[in-house]
Amino acid sequence: MTESIIEVRNLTKIYEDGNVLAVDDINFDIKKGEIFAMLGPNGAGKTTTINMLATLLDLTEGQAFVNSYDVEKHPDKVRKSIGIVFQEPSLDIDMKGWENLELHAILYGMSKKERHPKIKEVLKLVDLEDRADTYVKNYSGGMKRRLEIARGLIHEPKVLFLDEPTLGLDPQTRRKIWDKIKELNQISEITILITTHYMDEADELADRICIMDHGKIIALDTSKNLKKQLSGDVIDIQFEKVEDRMKLPQIINQIREIPGIKNISFGDAKGQHDEIPMNMNLPANMPNIDPAMIQARIREVMSNPKKMLEAWKRFPMATQMFLNAPIEAKKRIANMFDNELLDEVPENIKQEIIKIKKGEYKEEEQDFEPKLSISCESGGKQLPLIVQNINDNNLKIKTVNMHEPTLEDVFLHYVGSAIREESSNHTKNIKKFIQMRQLRK
Amino acid sequence: MSDLSVLPSKMNYGAVWILAKRELMSFWRSKSRIISSFVQSLLFLFVFGAGAILQSVTIDGVVVDPRAFAGSGVGAVVILFTGIFGGMSVFRDKMFGFMKELLVAPVSRKTLMFGRTLGIALQTLLQVTIVIGLGIAIGYFGYDLSLIWRFILILPVALLASIGIVGLGLIISSRLRDMQSFGLIQTFIVMPMFWLSGALIPFPPEFQIVTMLNPFSYSVDLFRFVLLGVSVFEIWLDIIVVIGFSTILILIGARSFNKMEVS
Repeated sequence: MTESIIEVRNLTKIYEDGNVLAVDDINFDIKKGEIFAMLGPNGAGKTTTINMLATLLDLTEGQAFVNSYDVEKHPDKVRKSIGIVFQEPSLDIDMKGWENLELHAILYGMSKKERHPKIKEVLKLVDLEDRADTYVKNYSGGMKRRLEIARGLIHEPKVLFLDEPTLGLDPQTRRKIWDKIKELNQISEITILITTHYMDEADELADRICIMDHGKIIALDTSKNLKKQLSGDVIDIQFEKVEDRMKLPQIINQIREIPGIKNISFGDAKGQHDEIPMNMNLPANMPNIDPAMIQARIREVMSNPKKMLEAWKRFPMATQMFLNAPIEAKKRIANMFDNELLDEVPENIKQEIIKIKKGEYKEEEQDFEPKLSISCESGGKQLPLIVQNINDNNLKIKTVNMHEPTLEDVFLHYVGSAIREESSNHTKNIKKFIQMRQLRK
Repeated sequence: MSDLSVLPSKMNYGAVWILAKRELMSFWRSKSRIISSFVQSLLFLFVFGAGAILQSVTIDGVVVDPRAFAGSGVGAVVILFTGIFGGMSVFRDKMFGFMKELLVAPVSRKTLMFGRTLGIALQTLLQVTIVIGLGIAIGYFGYDLSLIWRFILILPVALLASIGIVGLGLIISSRLRDMQSFGLIQTFIVMPMFWLSGALIPFPPEFQIVTMLNPFSYSVDLFRFVLLGVSVFEIWLDIIVVIGFSTILILIGARSFNKMEVS
């Protein structure tokens, strides 16, 4: 099971006409039988990577092997080894469901004897047997998607590429397609490479997740490890009495001694938000990234309405963050937007800002209750020790809230911090790179 | 996309057949297209044949029945329209995403192109048969037993001519990026080729040069020669130009098709 079915070495793609560095020197392996997800915002290079692996695009540099065939030297063998469901629909809507599948089977060189039972089998797999004789133009979006998945499976590929398979589908249909993908992976042990920009999709399906942005892989691991890498668990403890505040420094020192504790921050809700304006949980021990730098970046974005706008447009999470932000932070942001800028703001945020400006929000009740926010390696192990320590000191706990960092936290952390890199510097580097390549020729 | 250079350009005949069948099937299924082409042919036959636009036509010193002239011209024009709009089906597949499914299949582009060309050529033959059959049925060509072999001989001519036109359709549709350019193609390519071919209205000798510059005129002329036995140009010139025109266009068409990128 540890054998690799896809190997990617220094893969690079430049669209020369647009001076776009779409994929930038990436390396990864996909193991036989795993579900591998590529996660990233639009334009991160996911589809370009898939198109290169599917032999639809030339590689600018590097090598890629699918089912141990070189995509440049044996494209026909690679093509027979893969099934692919494109991001946009690719069915002939003027043909019936069955005919679409039959055309595919013939293109892949299957004889009549082979293909008829196989088409029946895949149609059954995606629950479309009764719609085989319906014209595809009369299918719903979800049915089309399922038919495409069925089509990708007819020639028994070793790897199935799914490029944004649930884009634009309703939640029930998404769930259904997820179930099919999992079922497929388990029953036929087919390797699946899926690209998506839905965090929940990657989290739900994938054995390993690769986060891409600006054509680079910025993180690659299991969902669990990615989250762990960010900050383990976060435990928030709120105390009942304001006077307890005085005893806290002593307790903090004691808790620090507990093995597995990474970081403790102290304060009431208000104090903390002054420090980190958007209630952003910072990673405790991020390798190579200085937490102060991330804070600085967030502050930079927060202080510039244009950058805020960009973040909102690019990352749905940023919108969510704003809507969930404490009122102080919201007010501060709202004040940055004048009427002219407000027109560009996404609708839901716009309404919120208008409300704030009209003063429709009451002052949030002042929360003076002291609070500790502890990040630790494994909450389950450290929480009892922490609580015991607090009890020993005769303090009363009002609430305890433990949560794992979600994949969204991870994603936003990696991709969100890259906003700055969209500066002119980046484009300059690409131009330089292309010029160098031309010189070499 | 250097696809063709590395993918063995072996022809996969099963694939060729299913692709040709798809073209024919899509023609057969769009009843509106069949009916409209039928009605349009009838209209042309009526207006140019019975509408007394042409009192008499003299080709190469021979007086030709204007109805026979119009009948053969309408038949030739069908090749032009069916071929170009058939070649445009590549563009339609590009727009609806189906092209990607074809391009990622383990068959050479040659196979894809051959299948499509064959399908459209067969479709053209079908339409030519309908139009000429119609013309014969209403007596435009008189009633003569020689019509049987003339009719049979028309088919290879139509096939040859349509290959060139399909090539032209492929060139256009491989490069076309949006629907808006479609009108331009209509105005600057299809209509001049149609009106300046002398298919429906003969040009007086002093304007003959216009017809001579239009490569499609030679297809029309050859078509008419087979059907009526008279031609404007020398018959050997017709044959050479038709073969040359078809060969060149289908080769450029193949090139455009090979280079086409779908992302």
